[in-house]
Amino acid sequence: MIRPSTFFAALALAALVSAAPAAAHQPRLGPHGGALVDAGSHHHAELVADGSATVVVHLSDMADAAVPSTGFKAEAILVVDGKPVRFALEPAEPSRLVGTAPVPVPKGVKGAVRLTGPDGATAQAKF
Amino acid sequence: MHRSLALASLVLALVTTSAARGHDGHDHGAPPPPVSATVAPRADASSADLEMVVVARGGALEILIDRFRDNQPVTDAVVEVDGPAGVVKATAEGGVFRVPAPWAEPGRSVDLAVTVQAGDVVDVLTATLSLPPAEPKPVAGSVVTPAEASETGATMLPDGFGGWGLALAGFAAGLVVAASFRRRAVVATALAGVFLLGLAPGAPTQAAETPRDLAQRFPDGSLFVPKSSQRILGLRTLFTEIADHPTTVELPGRVIPDPDGSGVVQPSLAGRLKPPPGGFPRLGAAVAAGDVLAFVEPAVAAADVTTQHQQARELDQQIALMERRLERYRQITNSITRAQIEDAEVELTGLKARRANLERRERASEALVAPVSGVVAAVAAIAGQIAEPNTIVFRIVDPRRFWVEALAYEAHAFAPRADGRPAGGESFPLAFVGSGLSDRAQAVPVHFSVSGEAKGLRAGQLLTVAATLAETRGGIAVPRAAVLRGANGRSLVWEHTNPERFVPREVRVEPLDGERVLIIAGVDAGRRIVTGGAELLNQIR
Repeated sequence: MIRPSTFFAALALAALVSAAPAAAHQPRLGPHGGALVDAGSHHHAELVADGSATVVVHLSDMADAAVPSTGFKAEAILVVDGKPVRFALEPAEPSRLVGTAPVPVPKGVKGAVRLTGPDGATAQAKF
Repeated sequence: MHRSLALASLVLALVTTSAARGHDGHDHGAPPPPVSATVAPRADASSADLEMVVVARGGALEILIDRFRDNQPVTDAVVEVDGPAGVVKATAEGGVFRVPAPWAEPGRSVDLAVTVQAGDVVDVLTATLSLPPAEPKPVAGSVVTPAEASETGATMLPDGFGGWGLALAGFAAGLVVAASFRRRAVVATALAGVFLLGLAPGAPTQAAETPRDLAQRFPDGSLFVPKSSQRILGLRTLFTEIADHPTTVELPGRVIPDPDGSGVVQPSLAGRLKPPPGGFPRLGAAVAAGDVLAFVEPAVAAADVTTQHQQARELDQQIALMERRLERYRQITNSITRAQIEDAEVELTGLKARRANLERRERASEALVAPVSGVVAAVAAIAGQIAEPNTIVFRIVDPRRFWVEALAYEAHAFAPRADGRPAGGESFPLAFVGSGLSDRAQAVPVHFSVSGEAKGLRAGQLLTVAATLAETRGGIAVPRAAVLRGANGRSLVWEHTNPERFVPREVRVEPLDGERVLIIAGVDAGRRIVTGGAELLNQIR
């Protein structure tokens, strides 16, 4: 026989296990001098802005090894001077996605990059 | 029995873990799964400024945005959603931003980037919305049926601890248990397992057709509170900071007039009060120092009158005698020395002066004058009234100069600043003047002066003085209402950990002042503690 208390104990255990720590990622400094964050569950993305209108995103895998960007598409939504700006990023050799913003983008910009992989899978990176 | 418990736990643990976890070593701050089938599919995200919850309901997305630090709803904002249908601007409706979501097919996982422009706050929030698979009626946010739950197993668990899946687990567990005991009981125990595991959690799956978001308590004591409920409960949070807070004490006090700016008017002799020209000053009348407020006509007793009359006659007699004597002296100037005549003249002048003085004394009345400038605060004057000496006839107070006398029951070192809070009135600033050293009713009187002009104060008014002490203490100051009693009697606060999740934290508190307490242990800086509506949160079961 399973008593109700037993059942609830089981439930409690399950809840404890499932309540994984919910700490958000802090952006860390990437090898190219930009903020390195997770993009979905298979990639890391590093956003490099240097005050000009050109924005580069470096793609890498979860072990921070460069991933060829061929076939990827990306769109950046960045907050510049209190206004959101949207622009597309195009793949460039070897693992970069390069785009030109309508306004100069300062270093340490906030925003998000939406990635679409060659297989159509999407991912987002929040900076 | 124990094995069945172990089995059931194992099944649940495996199933929920696989649903909640991301990939190894990379936790994405995903919120804990919703607890039952009565919760619509949702995703959340937060940044340093904002937190957001996206709910899929009826083919549309509802987006609720609050400020991160204080949980204040953001209702006036421009919200754009980058989703599978491109960039869509949201319409605001009652504090909720709505976006049509025709692409919200069951079983799909969608990446959303939400751009929020709310005043000076501009942010891009990203979230991944996972819609549960639903076979028979593919409507976004539909209720999960037991059949779906058993089919989809692990992924479905967050949306309703799939009834039939658990029933099967229970059946298996029952079989194992029964086999270990007696063969004959196999069927009975297994069926009981089905009943307990299958039906108990399976019940909600037949609930209402559109999911209602219900606040619920997790078995570990933490709470799932949908954003919409948070707004109804008026939940507000405080971003904790460790700082040095001056200790304050509350003292009972009473408003007194400034001894240098107030005065009393008293007659020095008993007499009849007489109004000055224009009458007695009324209550509240402004008077200047030196103004005559009343006259006192000395009342002379009958015995005194007789004595005075006697004195007068006596003086009259002496004057008459002296006049005669002087006249005689002047007639015989030759045989009298000049000195004798002069003595007699001086004596006569003196007698006449005494006589005149006696007459004047009878009629002279005392003028009562205001000792300070101010306002007449109390009047005890009636024309014709006999006033005893030392009676307070008028009380004059300068309304710009009040003090507060408070009673301290401990020896404190007071800081120069304090606050006075009259019952039902606005608090006003006080400045420490000094404290006495002699006990009065087991308390030491402490004087504060009212800084500036406090309106509506009156002498004798009772109030509470919140006096700041010179010593400071380090810790997190939170409003008293944020600290609640837990079931075990310990103090606890609710921490807002995720947009829709609240976790109770046991804390150790010390009193700080009348409105705040100091958290010494249990919560670190940089957390969000529920301050508004914490009591309501504690009632959720």
